[in-house]
Amino acid sequence: MEGALVKLTVQGVMPDAIPNSESQVVILQDESKTNTLPIWVGVAEGTAIRLALESVVPPRPLSHDLIRNLTEQLGLTISKVVVTDVKNNTYYASIFLRSKQSDKQSELTVDSRPSDAIALALRTSCPIYVTQEVLDHLAPENIDPWLKILGSKEFGGTV
Amino acid sequence: MLTQMHVRGLMFDPYTNAYIVILRDESNSEMLPIWVGKPEASAISFAMEGITTPRPMTHDLMKVILDTAGAKVISVVVTDLKENTYYAKVHLSYEDSEYSIDARPSDAIALALRSKAPVFVNDNVIRKNSSEDMDRWLENLKPEDFGKYDA
Repeated sequence: MEGALVKLTVQGVMPDAIPNSESQVVILQDESKTNTLPIWVGVAEGTAIRLALESVVPPRPLSHDLIRNLTEQLGLTISKVVVTDVKNNTYYASIFLRSKQSDKQSELTVDSRPSDAIALALRTSCPIYVTQEVLDHLAPENIDPWLKILGSKEFGGTV
Repeated sequence: MLTQMHVRGLMFDPYTNAYIVILRDESNSEMLPIWVGKPEASAISFAMEGITTPRPMTHDLMKVILDTAGAKVISVVVTDLKENTYYAKVHLSYEDSEYSIDARPSDAIALALRSKAPVFVNDNVIRKNSSEDMDRWLENLKPEDFGKYDA
């Protein structure tokens, strides 16, 4: 991983501002709240993230619970997830895994959608990072409407 | 006793607003319908139709994590039916050990299809499933309900 990483926390999951949109928006912010990263996700992934934020334990393991359980049982630790890139409005993420035997050098990296990576990070209490490069590429015109909403509204029931 | 089953179809049940995965055994003498949610249904249908998405979907990620770690899905088994909820196990081999992990059948099947792993059903579940409810539901089924997914 090249370049600086900025640690983010999930502030909440909001419905998309566009009426009837199938998407939801996950709001991530850095510690100083100077950088906000909104990531558009599908309804299923949004729900997976919201349940983890609200510490809801479903009666049966949902898909991301299963991924956590699979990795835990195999002795794999998810060390971090990183939002690595944005291309044509699509965000890319990597999930970093360590096996019991491996040292830091042999860390495994898996390509992922940010939604899955975040849903997994919240379930494993691992940190979420974004590359400074991605933050630098955030177009203010995309972010400003969201910041306005953030200033005027609560994040729903998730914070 | 376990019976190997194959995913034969995926249907929409307008009565419950849910999707149903149809499992059948080799001889078509046993059938098991399993109700699943919409995201899991699309995960299963993508795998059945060999559709690849530009970005990995959740169950693709599940498989890639296992592949990257060097773990292999040996089989998945629908193990139990309790209060209308089906239970399944994913059997894995990893570093000379075997593991079995509790899962919903929908996730287990979506993973099995991507891993080319066999799906088994405990005979106990097949028997429990042949209830009156099921018979009534089957009577109302028309062949066209199976739609394009019917194999």
